[in-house]
Amino acid sequence: MLHLSSWEIGPIFRAMTRNKVGAVLIALQVAVTMCIIVNAVHILMERTMQMARDSGIDEANSFYLSSTGFADDFNDQVVIQTDLDAIRALPGVIDAMQINAIPISGGGWSMGLQTQPGAEFEGVGTAVYMVDDHVLNTLDLELIAGEAFKPSDIRWRQRSQRDWPAEIIITRALAENLFPEQSYQDTVGKTLYINDDEPVIVKGIIDKLQAPWVGWERLENAMLSPEQTLFSSSTYFIRTEPGRLDELMPAVEQMLADSNKGRVVRGLRSMQETRDRTYRRDQAMIKILTTVMITLTLVTALGIVGLASFNVNRRRKQIGTRRALGASQVSVLRYFMLENFLISSMGVILGAVLTVGLNIYLVQSLGLTKLHWWLIPVGMLTLWLVGQLAVLGPARRAAATSPAIATRTV
Amino acid sequence: MLNMQNVTKIFRTDLVETRALSDFNLHVKEGEFVTVTGPSGSGKTTFLNIAGLLESFDDGVYDLDGENVRHLNDTQRSRLRNEKIGFIFQSFNLIPDLDLFDNVDVPLRYRGFNGSERKRRIERCLELVGLANRMKHLPAQLSGGQQQRVAIARALAGEPRFLLADEPTGNLDSKMAHSVMQLLKDINDEGTTIVMVTHDPSLAREAKRNIFVKDGKVSDVTHISASAPEPIASISASGARHV
Ligand SMILES: Nc1ncnc2c1ncn2[C@@H]1O[C@H](COP(=O)(O)OP(=O)(O)OP(=O)(O)O)[C@@H](O)[C@H]1O
Ligand SMILES: [Mg+2]
Repeated sequence: MLHLSSWEIGPIFRAMTRNKVGAVLIALQVAVTMCIIVNAVHILMERTMQMARDSGIDEANSFYLSSTGFADDFNDQVVIQTDLDAIRALPGVIDAMQINAIPISGGGWSMGLQTQPGAEFEGVGTAVYMVDDHVLNTLDLELIAGEAFKPSDIRWRQRSQRDWPAEIIITRALAENLFPEQSYQDTVGKTLYINDDEPVIVKGIIDKLQAPWVGWERLENAMLSPEQTLFSSSTYFIRTEPGRLDELMPAVEQMLADSNKGRVVRGLRSMQETRDRTYRRDQAMIKILTTVMITLTLVTALGIVGLASFNVNRRRKQIGTRRALGASQVSVLRYFMLENFLISSMGVILGAVLTVGLNIYLVQSLGLTKLHWWLIPVGMLTLWLVGQLAVLGPARRAAATSPAIATRTV
Repeated sequence: MLNMQNVTKIFRTDLVETRALSDFNLHVKEGEFVTVTGPSGSGKTTFLNIAGLLESFDDGVYDLDGENVRHLNDTQRSRLRNEKIGFIFQSFNLIPDLDLFDNVDVPLRYRGFNGSERKRRIERCLELVGLANRMKHLPAQLSGGQQQRVAIARALAGEPRFLLADEPTGNLDSKMAHSVMQLLKDINDEGTTIVMVTHDPSLAREAKRNIFVKDGKVSDVTHISASAPEPIASISASGARHV
């Protein structure tokens, strides 16, 4: 029963070439489906991986809000200091600080740092976070070389001020971008130049901190500048103990609003929400692609069911005849499964070519990354499987055909 | 070879019960050529289908080649059909998308023969029916008589002991019908047992024995002796004689 000859691959193939319209259409459908599904999965994986990148901070337990003074007698410096003392004193708050921009939020400061002075040298882009000596604890950052800021390092920055503090802390990624030849530890103590020739010294290196712009290729280039801003609006960043966020967010907002009537408190938002907003389009894209993939697979499966059912009905007499000539039910089942397998095979081979083609196009026109090679065999296997599952029903109906059909139908 | 005792077949639908065969008795010996005639609806095809294991029956005993087939499962029946029985159908039942070679190949593949064995048998059988030079043709490119010859080649390829034919000449003109009949007679002379249903009395008369079926029963048996064909020839309406 397991003789290869009884598998009828040759005759099935030859019969198909004499009746090819349906088979070719299904093979094309399989090819297009595979091409789109594999590329969609690739995009999904890429997006998911981007979204899964660690921002470096304790997102789950962090939030921020801003305070804008409007009263004539409003003294930013005093209010900020009072606010921060009050927030840090709240039970459940791990730490808090003032910051000029929120990581992964989409808006912030950037500038160029260069290793040699002079307008003729290219700078390396970096995000700039203006923070105080509470930064490591508030953002949950790890200092992996050098020293942290001391309270005495922190200065006040006026709105129109152009100069920079003497020392900064940078991320490891930025250190490696600036000095690709050296290990990041050796960057500590090095002098960098801002605005072509203003020197700053690297005081320490932190493990990781993302910039505000998630689409930026140098997302992990960030520097910490030890200063508190005296701008029209101050943003406070607060880290809570696990599980205390929901209760502390309204509490802090209320406390600030009550403590000083000469200002407005707004923009209360958790880091979780910030992340959701930043990646909202990617989330939507993932939903759309998933829907497209499922729909396309279903449509293809239905096409296969349709063609197979049509073939089973059209060949009822032929099936009866085959049964009369000695085909067992298994032989008939196998006939239709094999026929589908051959059609799918043509489909997935063409599909593999189309898939690579579409990927090359997407890489060139939309800057997508190159496909992982193993997605192709996985896609082929998936469509083979979909085909076999789809054809199972019609094939079983074919197998149940009575051999008496051979003599009973004209 | 084939032995049926009190075989009964009832077709049941929601509304009616049809007794297609009732207490059907027949014994066909090895090497016989039996023709089956009878009015339309009398049960000839039903008998042939049961004999060929295409259909089950409700009551009675049927021994094929000494084996009681009543309780065989589908796989065993398929196997017996494949190995012992050759079928010839009124409308030829060739597979339209396969050339003659592949058509004759169909039962041989189910048998599990290897490629060279199948090729040898296909070529020999197509040779036998005079169509060896048309192997790559499709059925639609042949005349009805030629198609039936291919069907006969297909039935013979597995070297069955037993050939069943349901009105094999029903779709052919009388000239082609007689040449097909001659082919069957030659095959029978080689030792293959043949049971053939026909509406044509002149063909029925050419066999060794003719049974007449009426209302699902064998109602009359005529033994035909090759030496004395005259009495039968006289009742043949057409009077056509095969040369
Ligand atoms: N599948 C079926 N379901 C119900 N009744 C059936 C079925 N097949 C045959 N019959 C009935 O069984 C009886 C015998 O039919 P059968 O086909 O054997 O006759 P027949 O002698 O071959 O007739 P014909 O010369 O017209 O071919 C008929 O009354 C027929 O209507
Ligand atoms: Mg009939």
